[in-house]
Amino acid sequence: MTLDLVLNALVAGLLLGGFYAAVTLGISISFGILDIVNIAHPAFVIVGCYIAYILNASFGLDPVLAGLVAMPFFYVAGAAIYQVYYLSFERRGKEALSGLAFFFGILFITEVLLILIYGVDYRYVQASYIDRSFSIGIVQLPNRMLVPCVISFIMFGLLYFYLKRTFTGRAIMAVAQDQLALQLMAASPVRIKRTAFAISVATAAMAGALLIIIQPVEPSVGREYIGRAFAICVLGGLGSLTGTLIGAILIGIAESVTSTFFGPSWAPAVSFGLLLLTLAFRPSGLLGR
Amino acid sequence: MRNLSFALIATVVAAFVFAGARAVNSDYLFFAGYTVLQFVVLATAWNILGGYTGYVNFGSAAFFALGVYTTVFFTKLYPLPIPLLVVIGGVVSGLVGVGMGYLTLRLRGAFFAIATLALAVVLQTLIVNWHFVGGSRGAYVIRPASVAFLDSYIQYLFLIMLTVAVIALIAARAIERSSLGYGFAAIRDDELAAEALGVPTLKLKLIATALSGAFMGMAGAPFPYYIGYVQPATAFGLEYAVNSIAMPMIGGTGSWIGPLVGAILLGSLQQIATVTISSAVNLLLVGLLLVAFVMVAPNGFVGLIREFLLIAAPSRLNARAVIIVMIATYCFVGGILGIVLNLSAVMAPNSVLAAIGATGLILAVFNLVSAYGLLKLQSWSLVLTTIAFAIWIPFSAFYLWLDYAPTSVAFRAVVIVIALVALYYLQTQHVKLLYRTPLSEGRVMP
Amino acid sequence: MSTPLLEVTGLSKRFGGFVALENLDLAIHSGERVGLIGPNGSGKSTLVNCLCGTLINETGTVRFEDRNLAGLTAHARTRLGMARSFQLPRPFFSMTIADNIRVPLIYAVNSRPGVRLSESEIGERCIALLDLVGLKDKASQRPVDLTQVEMRKLELARAMAVEPKLLIADEAMAGLSGVEVHDIVTLLIKLNERGVTVVLIEHIMRAVMQFSQRLIVLVSGKKIADGRPDDVIRDPEVVRAYLGQ
Repeated sequence: MTLDLVLNALVAGLLLGGFYAAVTLGISISFGILDIVNIAHPAFVIVGCYIAYILNASFGLDPVLAGLVAMPFFYVAGAAIYQVYYLSFERRGKEALSGLAFFFGILFITEVLLILIYGVDYRYVQASYIDRSFSIGIVQLPNRMLVPCVISFIMFGLLYFYLKRTFTGRAIMAVAQDQLALQLMAASPVRIKRTAFAISVATAAMAGALLIIIQPVEPSVGREYIGRAFAICVLGGLGSLTGTLIGAILIGIAESVTSTFFGPSWAPAVSFGLLLLTLAFRPSGLLGR
Repeated sequence: MRNLSFALIATVVAAFVFAGARAVNSDYLFFAGYTVLQFVVLATAWNILGGYTGYVNFGSAAFFALGVYTTVFFTKLYPLPIPLLVVIGGVVSGLVGVGMGYLTLRLRGAFFAIATLALAVVLQTLIVNWHFVGGSRGAYVIRPASVAFLDSYIQYLFLIMLTVAVIALIAARAIERSSLGYGFAAIRDDELAAEALGVPTLKLKLIATALSGAFMGMAGAPFPYYIGYVQPATAFGLEYAVNSIAMPMIGGTGSWIGPLVGAILLGSLQQIATVTISSAVNLLLVGLLLVAFVMVAPNGFVGLIREFLLIAAPSRLNARAVIIVMIATYCFVGGILGIVLNLSAVMAPNSVLAAIGATGLILAVFNLVSAYGLLKLQSWSLVLTTIAFAIWIPFSAFYLWLDYAPTSVAFRAVVIVIALVALYYLQTQHVKLLYRTPLSEGRVMP
Repeated sequence: MSTPLLEVTGLSKRFGGFVALENLDLAIHSGERVGLIGPNGSGKSTLVNCLCGTLINETGTVRFEDRNLAGLTAHARTRLGMARSFQLPRPFFSMTIADNIRVPLIYAVNSRPGVRLSESEIGERCIALLDLVGLKDKASQRPVDLTQVEMRKLELARAMAVEPKLLIADEAMAGLSGVEVHDIVTLLIKLNERGVTVVLIEHIMRAVMQFSQRLIVLVSGKKIADGRPDDVIRDPEVVRAYLGQ
C-alpha cells in the first residue's frame, strides 16, 4: 500500500473517469434531459469503436480524427432513430414497456450484427502516441488514457456551452421541463428533442473512438457500459451535466482503486453497487433536479 | 373454466406430450424439447412481471443463472435430487428478486429495468470470481448413468421441465383471473391511479418480481445436469435475456397463452435454425422480430387476435372471424418458418438454390405482413394475402418437382390445398364486407 | 365543536425554489360540501396530492379522523376513506368499464378490516355504481369508447367505488357543457346526501356556487378566504386576486 501505488491508482481513476464521462454524455442527454431510456447507447459507442478501427486499419487515420469524421453520420442516424421512436411510441404514449424493449432490441441487433461481421476477436487501433506516456514525479500518465480524458473534457465543455448559451441548446433544456411553454415560444418540441437525441448519438461516435484507444474492443464490451453509464447518470443526478462529470470521475476512481487492490475482475461490480446505493438512499443523485 | 379443471386438462395434455415423445423415442427430440420447455417457463415467468404488471426485466439471465449456480453449489457440496434443487433454485431467485425489487421498485419502471441489466453483469462478476463453483474455468456436473423407470437421463430432465412448465402455466392463468391479476393490470395501465384507488402497488410489484424470479430460477436449476459443463458465459448468455423478452412480446403479453405460443414457435424454430444457419443469425432474427413487433403489435400476436375478435366477433364467435384468425395464424407461423428455412438457402453457394431461397424469403415476409393486415382489418391485406397465396401455389409445385419423397409430396399437396381454399374464401363477399369499411377508428359491424 | 373529518395544520410544499403551498391551515367537517377555488397555479392540485399522499409535504400535518397521516402511502389513505378523482381522467385502458370499478372495490373496500365481499356482491356493487352515473349499458366496453363526459363520470364512479368518507373532486367538469356540468353537480349533491363529505375543486363558478355550503379560496399557495360562499365572493381581496379577472 505504497504512496506510489495509491497515487497512481487515483490518477488512473481520474483519467478513466474523465473518459467514462464521454461515454455517459450521450445518456445524460437522452435519459437525463429527454427522459428516453436509450440503453442501446453503449452499442452505438461500440459501433464508433469499429468505425475508428476500420478507418485506422484501412487509411491509417488517427482514431480521434476518425471519431470526428464519424460524428455527422451518427448525428443523422440518431435523428432517424428518434423519428422512428417518436412515431412508434412517444406519440402514442406507450413509451414505458415498448420503448424499453425497442432500444433493447436495437442494442441486441447491433451487437449480433457486429459479431456476424467482425467476429469476437479483439480489435485495436495503432497510433504513434498511444504507447507512450509521460510522468509527473512518481505518477504515470499513459497517453492512451490521457488523450481520451482530455478530449472528453473538451466535448463536455463544448456541450455545456452549447446548452447554456445557444437558443437551441436552451430550448433543449427547456423541453425537459415544460413542453407547452416551448410550443408557445414557437419552437417545435419534437424537432428540438430530435436534435438533442441526434447530438447524444453523435457523442457515441467520439466516445467509441476514445474507447478503442484505451483498450482493445470486441462486441460484448458494450454491455459493461450499460450499468456503468446509468450508474454515473443516476449518481451525478439526472439532468445535470456537471453532475455526470463528477459522477464519472468518482466511479472511475472507485473502479481504479478496486482494480488495483482487489483485482480487475471485481471492477464491473463497483458501478452497480454504487448504483444500488444511490437508488436506495439518494435517488436524485448528487446534483439532480 | 375453473382453475382446477384447467390444471387437470393441462396435466393430461402434458402426459400426452411425454407419452408422444417416448413413442418417437429419439434422444434428440428430448434434448430439443427440454430447451423449448425451458423457454416456456422463462417466457411465462417474464410475462408475469413484464406483460401483466408492466415492468420490464432485462436481466432474465441473472435469475436463470442463479438457479443454475445454486445447483452447481449444492452438487459440489452434497448431491441433492433435482426436484429439490428446483425448489431451492426457485426460492433463491425469488428472494434475490424481492431484494432487488425493494431497492428499485419504488422508483420509476425505467430504473428497475436498468437495475436488472446491471444485476446480470454484477452477478456474473461475482460468479466468475467464486472458485468454489468453478469461476471462469467452469464446473463439471456429472450426470447419473441411469434413472429408474425411464430409458435415459434426458427423459428424466425433460419430465422435470415439463412439470415446471405446467406449474408455471397454471400459476400464470390463476393469477390472471384473480384479484392479484386485476391489481397487476391496474399497475400496468396506470400506477398512479391504481395507488390512489387503494392498490398496494409496491407490495404487488414485489410479489410479481418474486414469482417471476422464482420461476426463472426453477428453469435454471436442472440446467447443469442438462449441459454437463457450466461456464458463466453460457449461464449468463445473451439468448436468455432476449428470448425471455421476445417470446412473450411476440406471442402475446396479455395472457398465459402468449408466452406459450411464443416459446413453442420461436423455441422450435431456433432449434431448427441452429442446425441450418448459425446461432448468431438466428439470434439476430429474434432481435429483428422483437423490434418489429414492439413497433407495430406491442401486445403480440395473441393480442392482435384479441383486438380483431373484439371488432369482428364482439359478442359471440362466428365462422367468418374464426376462419380469418386461422388463415392469419397460418400466414404468421408459415411466414416465420419460411424466413428461417429460406435464410439458409439464400446463403447457399448454388445460385438456383439461392434464387429459390430469395423468393421463399420474400414470400415469407408477404405472409407475415398479410397476417398483420388481416388482423388489423386493413383493406390492402386482402389483396396482399391473395397475391401471397397465389404465388405459394406454383412455388410449392416447384418444390414438388425438386423432391419426390412421399412425405414431402404429401406436405406440399396439403400446402397447395390450403392455399387454394384460403384464396377462394378471401374472395367471398362475406369477407370483403368486413374489410371494405374503414374500421380503424369506427366500430361498424357489417 | 366535534373533531373535524380532515384537519390540515401548517402545510407547506416546495418544488426546488418554488413554494407551492405555504403554511396552510384547513378544517373540514363531516357532511360538508366545500368548494375550493383559485387561479391556475395557486396550488389546488398540489394540495390534493399532499392530502392523498401522492406528494409528500415538507412541513405541517394532515389528520384524517384525528389520525396523523404522515408516512402513510396513498393506497393506505384511500383505504382509510379518502378518495380523489383526477383532473385528467386516468382510466385503466386495457380493462372494461366494469372492471375499472372492480379494482377499487377489491383493493380499497374489500381489504378493509371486517369486510368480506363475495364475487357476486362485488359484481352487484359494480353495476349499482355504473347505474348511478348512467354508464350501466356500457359496462362491458372499454374506456377508449367513451366520450369526454362519460370518462369523467367513470372517473368519479371509481372514486366513489372506494366508499369514501371524503371525496375530493379535482376539476371534474372542465370543458363540459352546461347540461353536463349540471349532471355532475347533481351527482355530487346526491352523494353528499348519502353521507359523503365532498370537496369540489373547480373553475366553473356557477357549479361552485350551486354546490358549496362553504367556500375556500387559494392564491399563490396561501388561503385568503374561508367562509360562506356569498360572503367570500364579495371579499375584496378575493375579487382582486381571482374573480375580477
